[in-house]
Amino acid sequence: MSQPVTPRRTTRSTVSAPDPASPTSPSNSRPKPTPRRQLIPTAAAAKEEEEGEHERSTIDALLEALPGRRAQATDLLRLLAPAPALPLLLHGGAATGKTRALLLALRHVRPRPRRVAYAALRSLPSPRALFASLLTQLSPPSSSSASFRLRVPDKPSDFVAALRDALAGLSAQGEAVYLVFDNLEVARSWDKSGQLLTLLLRLYDLLRLPQVVLVYVSSATPDAYYTMTGSVEPNHIYFPDYTVDEVRDILMRGHPNPKLYSSFLSVALKPLFRVTRRVDELVAALEPLFRRYCEPLGDLKSVPDESIRRRLFEHIQPHLGVALNETFSVPMRASVDECKGHSSGGKAISKRQFGNRDSLSTELEFHMSVSAKYLLLSAFLASRNPATLDAALFDSTGGSDNHKRKRKSSQASLNMKDTMLEEMLMKGPGTFPLERLLAIFQCITSVSEDALSDVECTDSTMAGSGMTDLMSDVLLQLSTLCNSNFLSKSRSCPLEGSARYRSNIDEDLALKVARSVNFPLSKYIYRR
Amino acid sequence: MAAASVASRAQSVLRGRLCDPGFVHSALRSSPDTNYSKLKYLVASSVSEACNNSVLLLGPRGCGKAAVVDMVLDDLKKEHPDAISVIRLNGMLHSDDNCAMKEIARQLCLEHQLSFSKMASSDDNTEFMIDMLRECGLAHKTVLFVLEEFDLFAQGKQRLLYSLLDAMQSLTSQAVVIGLSCRLDADQLLEKRVRSRFSHRKLLFVPPSLDDIQRLVEHLLILTQDSGLRAKYITDYNSRLANIFIDNKFKGCLNSLMDADATTSNILRFLFRAVSYMDMESGFLSMESFQKALSSMQRQPKMDSLQDLSILELYILVCMHRLEDKEQSSYNFTSIMKEYRSIQDAYKTSDKYSSTVCFRAFEHLLDRELISFGDNRGRNQALEYRSVKLLISSRELAQSLKLNTTCPAVLQKLLDRERYM
Repeated sequence: MSQPVTPRRTTRSTVSAPDPASPTSPSNSRPKPTPRRQLIPTAAAAKEEEEGEHERSTIDALLEALPGRRAQATDLLRLLAPAPALPLLLHGGAATGKTRALLLALRHVRPRPRRVAYAALRSLPSPRALFASLLTQLSPPSSSSASFRLRVPDKPSDFVAALRDALAGLSAQGEAVYLVFDNLEVARSWDKSGQLLTLLLRLYDLLRLPQVVLVYVSSATPDAYYTMTGSVEPNHIYFPDYTVDEVRDILMRGHPNPKLYSSFLSVALKPLFRVTRRVDELVAALEPLFRRYCEPLGDLKSVPDESIRRRLFEHIQPHLGVALNETFSVPMRASVDECKGHSSGGKAISKRQFGNRDSLSTELEFHMSVSAKYLLLSAFLASRNPATLDAALFDSTGGSDNHKRKRKSSQASLNMKDTMLEEMLMKGPGTFPLERLLAIFQCITSVSEDALSDVECTDSTMAGSGMTDLMSDVLLQLSTLCNSNFLSKSRSCPLEGSARYRSNIDEDLALKVARSVNFPLSKYIYRR
Repeated sequence: MAAASVASRAQSVLRGRLCDPGFVHSALRSSPDTNYSKLKYLVASSVSEACNNSVLLLGPRGCGKAAVVDMVLDDLKKEHPDAISVIRLNGMLHSDDNCAMKEIARQLCLEHQLSFSKMASSDDNTEFMIDMLRECGLAHKTVLFVLEEFDLFAQGKQRLLYSLLDAMQSLTSQAVVIGLSCRLDADQLLEKRVRSRFSHRKLLFVPPSLDDIQRLVEHLLILTQDSGLRAKYITDYNSRLANIFIDNKFKGCLNSLMDADATTSNILRFLFRAVSYMDMESGFLSMESFQKALSSMQRQPKMDSLQDLSILELYILVCMHRLEDKEQSSYNFTSIMKEYRSIQDAYKTSDKYSSTVCFRAFEHLLDRELISFGDNRGRNQALEYRSVKLLISSRELAQSLKLNTTCPAVLQKLLDRERYM
């Protein structure tokens, strides 16, 4: 029976408290508010007075729980209840407390809602799953097992019919039912997204049940949905990002040593705030910094005086600059949920490349065989250098003669180089066929034979019979590199038919790898 | 406290009114020359004269088309309780012909206490509908088809519209088709064979004029004595409201609201907000609540999210703007970084960050939809190399920099100098 609110959002702290919506919840000991409306005024006044006191304290509790969201919380309470209400759209950037404010406000809404159905579109990745989740949340608790056996509607028409049936039963007593659609913006990238979003946004017109209040939560601005709304556009509530002072208040909440922490924040928060204003990211960035800040202190409980503060400031000052440039780097062995916290922050980074920059490079030495490193380097060279220069760079003399080729450049060719450079920046690393990669690989391994003397394939590079050995081994390494996203395999070229590869690593990482195997990489990179 | 409880009751009465389209449009009943009376005359005469008819109601969203249809149907149901059955379809749900036929059959069965077979084929359902129409005609019962989002039924083969309108060509049947659409050219979407069977009656709905709006506002907000509240409160409330109505500031509010969107639904939204912002201590609507409602409806989401940016994110936007000013046809994150570095080298500001940090800021901007990728090509390419574009104008950017108090002066200069060059 505890399904009405957010069975899926257990990660958020809001859910830990008892469920506000379920009618049988123990906190709901107050009599139902509707009959009291008919009481004679004098009797009502006394009761209302007592209720008024109660109401004020709950509103204070709500505002206490939502620091910096005073205006939004009061707006929410005013617009959500009493029951006949126009649809509502909460919008604002990520980590501005939209969902939390809404769920808490629904708990404080008077008269109490009969049922709250919460559907986060991010965790319900198809219309069918969304429909099923809503209908199970709305079905009476006793028949919840039976409703699983019911056919889940996948057509919008069936869904609306089923939804209307479920809601008509619930709101017959004149109590409100709240339907919450969270993460509305993700549905825009779904198949037939227009259809589903239009359906959701026009539910008010389709259902025409005054006791049903629709609430949408989205991080995209309302203009994104303007063309999809029906005759009634939702009321908007905007959640702005927190200001510095609000962020400080949030961070200070519940800290064991507030004095120490506030002196830390007065040093560290402002510079980090210039980089990002998202609380979740700030928390992650500040936490290790605070540990560093406390290092000189023996006792963490002590209250710092002026001299200690100055000492601590001098201690933290050099680290601050470093931290600013390392913000958001994910530690290699981050626990799973920590990773999740990060990935929930950046929504658009599904394609973000893995091997690019992070602190990964420091651990690289221990995880890669030497031949894999050479393969990585040759892939890097193949991606960066134009194919026409391969012969010049890798001829028998080992590329040492490319210094002689310097020519004086005219203005025209300089301009051309500029446009070439622009183009290069736009295009990113190029693709290359497997043959070119293997050729470069052979060249650079043969150049640094001494380095390879302890590698298993040295003898087979020359001997014709051993060639197959090398090939199979290299192909294995190659697929490993592809799997770990250092290289990416692109669609096969329509003319040649074979797969093409691209290297995803940047120059810093490549140089680091080259250093670890003592390979003179910079000699081979073509500079314009 | 007593005042608060009266106020909250008054508030819920008002909210109930604003959310009830029947009440909102009930003023139409009294006046003679409205779409309501026209539609009612049309439908009532076809019911009483036992003939077939079809009509389209056209007009922008939120002008009360559906509400008028509901009111007409309610009235007719009261006048001819046995002679009417209503079938409602919505183009958004039933644009598929088979699905629509099934829905018609289902509603017909429900209306006439027949058992509905889910397994029936589309042809069976069509046949059933034609039979039912004939039976109803013989029993002098009119079937009213209300087709909301009519334009969506006109997609595809229009088999449903054809079979509906074709069934109405026979003398025995007795049906009225009412189509509602916000596309003014909805009748032009019909195929020839459908169009020739359609009556070409159209009722046009237009947004109300300022006078109408004022009358509507009074109709909605002034409490009547029978609303179950104390008489003294009601007279107090009404006199205060009358003072607000003659206030020029209030007229200014209504005017600026109507400049943007003059549909009834927009007015309702405005009034709903104003009523929700009612001062619960005194229990009356005040000018402030109307002004607050207006200001909350006139927010500019783009400007709001520009105000929320961190300094680094603003730097990136300014860099992008500079690149666009240089008439660089397309650019990506790496070229933005190049520009950013050149700015940092030239001005030596304290805001020089590594490209990882800048990339995260870049992602935030993508998240907020202030910038977006220029094309869908190269989906499998790294994000840094995909070309991007700004989704804000230079005026918006300049204005937000001006409003931002923490914004460094260098940024302003960088943006301004571009303009004079």
